[in-house]
Amino acid sequence: MKGNVLVVDDEPIVLKSCERILGAEGYSVSVAADPLKALEMLEAATPEAKDGYDIVITDLKMPGMNGIDFMRKLREKDPTLSLVLITGYPSQESIRDALALGIVDYLPKPFSPAILTGVAERAIEFKRRRASHDASAGGGGHDEDEMAAKLDTIIQKYKGKPGSLIPVLQESQELVGYLPPAVQRHIARGLNVPVSEVHGVVSFYSFFTMKPKGRHNIRVCLGTACYVKRAEEILQKLKDRLHIDIGEVTKDRKFSLESVRCLGACGLAPVVVVDKDTHGSVNPVQALDILKKYEES
Amino acid sequence: MGNYRANLVICGGTGCIAGGGAKIRDAMQAELAARGLEKEIGIVMTGCNGFCAQGPIMTVYPDGTFYEKLTPADVPLIVEEHLLKGRPVEKLMHKDPVLKRAVPAMHDIPFFNLQVLRALRNKGLIDAEKIEEYIARDGYMAAAKALLQMTPEQIVSEVKASGLRGRGGAGFPTGVKWELCARVQGDVKYILCNGDEGDPGAFMDRSVMEADPHVVLEGMIIAARAIGAHKGYIYVRAEYPLAVSRLQMAIDQANEYGLLGKNILGSGFDLDIEIYQGAGAFVCGEETALMRSLEGKRGMPIPRPPFPAVQGLWKKPTVLNNVETYANIPPIILNGAGWFRELGIEKSAGTKVFALTGAINNIGLIEVPMGIPLRKIIYDIGGGIKKGRQFKAVQLGGPSGGCIPKELLDTPVTYEDITQTGAIVGSGGMVVMDESNCMVSVAKFFLEFTTDESCGKCPPCRIGTKIMHGKLKDITEGLGKPGDIELLQDLAQDIINTSLCGLGQTAPNPVLSTIKYFRDEYEAHINEGWCKAGVCRPLTTFYIDASKCIGCGACARVCPQKTVSGEKKKPHSIDQSGCIKCRSCYEACKFGAVKIGPGSLKQKLLEEAEAAKGVSE
Repeated sequence: MKGNVLVVDDEPIVLKSCERILGAEGYSVSVAADPLKALEMLEAATPEAKDGYDIVITDLKMPGMNGIDFMRKLREKDPTLSLVLITGYPSQESIRDALALGIVDYLPKPFSPAILTGVAERAIEFKRRRASHDASAGGGGHDEDEMAAKLDTIIQKYKGKPGSLIPVLQESQELVGYLPPAVQRHIARGLNVPVSEVHGVVSFYSFFTMKPKGRHNIRVCLGTACYVKRAEEILQKLKDRLHIDIGEVTKDRKFSLESVRCLGACGLAPVVVVDKDTHGSVNPVQALDILKKYEES
Repeated sequence: MGNYRANLVICGGTGCIAGGGAKIRDAMQAELAARGLEKEIGIVMTGCNGFCAQGPIMTVYPDGTFYEKLTPADVPLIVEEHLLKGRPVEKLMHKDPVLKRAVPAMHDIPFFNLQVLRALRNKGLIDAEKIEEYIARDGYMAAAKALLQMTPEQIVSEVKASGLRGRGGAGFPTGVKWELCARVQGDVKYILCNGDEGDPGAFMDRSVMEADPHVVLEGMIIAARAIGAHKGYIYVRAEYPLAVSRLQMAIDQANEYGLLGKNILGSGFDLDIEIYQGAGAFVCGEETALMRSLEGKRGMPIPRPPFPAVQGLWKKPTVLNNVETYANIPPIILNGAGWFRELGIEKSAGTKVFALTGAINNIGLIEVPMGIPLRKIIYDIGGGIKKGRQFKAVQLGGPSGGCIPKELLDTPVTYEDITQTGAIVGSGGMVVMDESNCMVSVAKFFLEFTTDESCGKCPPCRIGTKIMHGKLKDITEGLGKPGDIELLQDLAQDIINTSLCGLGQTAPNPVLSTIKYFRDEYEAHINEGWCKAGVCRPLTTFYIDASKCIGCGACARVCPQKTVSGEKKKPHSIDQSGCIKCRSCYEACKFGAVKIGPGSLKQKLLEEAEAAKGVSE
């Protein structure tokens, strides 16, 4: 048995298809047509007992109680539960509220069976890790405070200097690894500029990223010299092998993949840079050999 | 510095470092120490030498012996044979790809001896991290002359008379730009250097900044004096970490020596220079966009006039020049405009640096007099096409430029002549393509680039390039329709006519020039479903011509899918059902037996194989 899933939706067709798809994958699937019924079912099953639920997949708009309020109640009851929100009416507000509740994913309808099974897999993994994390240590609040203090030091260094936003973002990205919305808000407050301006700059320049990077960051040069030497094939091979697209990170956070516009090392074309190591004259057929060195660590 | 009987000059450019240049230095230091030679033989780590494809490289002075593709294992051999016994090691020397023999001395290698080094005069000679070495090569003499003996008007008129044109791409006369700004009244002016080399396939500026950072500072001091600026910024790509650190080191040293800062050389002139790291946006090569970026905003261009010379950075009069332009300034001031004009032609004076890359034997950085024919660059300096293949085209000017076919190889490299062909001189990227490159795919590559890099301000550029890219993608995937070529040409004209900045106005050039010279390839893609270069996979079928196959098995060995089969010394064949069209067999065959057919051939061959199976059963 892969895990216990509870699907909550007022549309019978959704319940049926989730049951069919996840059931075939080896999950034990229970369904509820409304949140109140679902709460009853959860009440009956204690988390410690064998029939405790691992994942709750819920709709947003339902009679009696909306999905967000429902999830809030679930969180109070069991913080380790993996939550997935599905909706036919995606909106900025619902995404924000759902993220604040620490959901595993947000799926706009319609979604494909592959997406659903993928999410379920991740949700189980999430639940497992959360449970072990809770057992091993307390919260990570100290790290956050420390990070905020370091960000403030960067901001103070540049505050009042004209044109300081880009250098501040560069240093902050170096510190945090990426620029999530919370960091952008922090910088906006610190430099006293609108968040929209900060986000405008972050989204404009390719150097800035809003997604975290893997332990090893792979950059494939797609400059002209590399392109005519089949860099595109190298990129494709890496994508296929790691199962990620450009700008994404692998599930185990080991690798992230980027493409760059000419590193100016055309004499070595085609070039792949992993972390700070430059691999030149890469043979597209043997491109995957590069990964070997990094796979152990 | 001590006196050495020999000096080993090891290249420390990005290319050679990536190839292990630092390891060569460390191994050499250890070897010399082990043999007690460290007081006799010196080691210098320089910036980029230019011959990047052969790295790591090392030159032994005073004799000038040039060693290439070194590994740490070669070090003891060089010390033993060359440095102790005086017998240069032939097997580590450069092999002339045409004459097929070793060429001992750097100055005899055609790649070097046809070049004229002006902007790159210190490349591979000095330690970029030591200001003393720059000064020993007449460094800062021109700045001293400009500050102490010349008036701003004299500087401007000397630069104007030299006919130097901006080396960043557009080719605007530098002296005119300075004059415009010098005439504007204003207490605060800015001098900027554009080191945001964004063209894919270009690395001229990177090499100058890494190999000779002080020349950039000296050029900026002279320009600042000419226009009356006291604050300067160098805008460098964050992707060039080595250039950033060397420039910073150079700025610190110059400040310490009184060559920057307050009252430079006692002239009463002040100038501060700071580095600003770009965050990766091609459009920031455009001057108004670069200034917005320096202000900490999204790097979007604004309409001109007002020109930056009147209202630039923070609305103050500003002059922006490219790295290579600045590198040309000190010798002009020292030797005069007449000296500069000795090379080149009337409208395109002096020399130009190019980054020669692609399907060519001698990849690297070159500096040639303007007016030199393309053929000379590609065949004499570049050593011709790799693997004995046929030249197809040379791409100049990156995403703003175009492809020049072999019929036009005698075109002299001048701003006007190159523009005539539909390409541009641009910043100096020169990518050579051979018969294995598909020109439709090349055009698609550049359009993908400009679609991505368009800042989004002007709809013709933002939407137009996307539509063009989509059409090109269709054509390379076998979805092209008759009329697509005309549609592309039509769209191109509209985008050129209605975009605000240089990015949009030149973005369609790669498509127009490839249609102009390689229309047959577009037509073969659309009408015959055939990519004759074998690049666009849906339009390609690889098969073996039995009459040419000698059965050596080279193709079968490289096939990752193991779909090539056949008995030894008998013609092989490819099992089409398993072929992933990776080209490996095509590249491996030395006899031209692997052929490229149209995409539809695959089905036909599969049916034939099926039928043959039926018969044998």
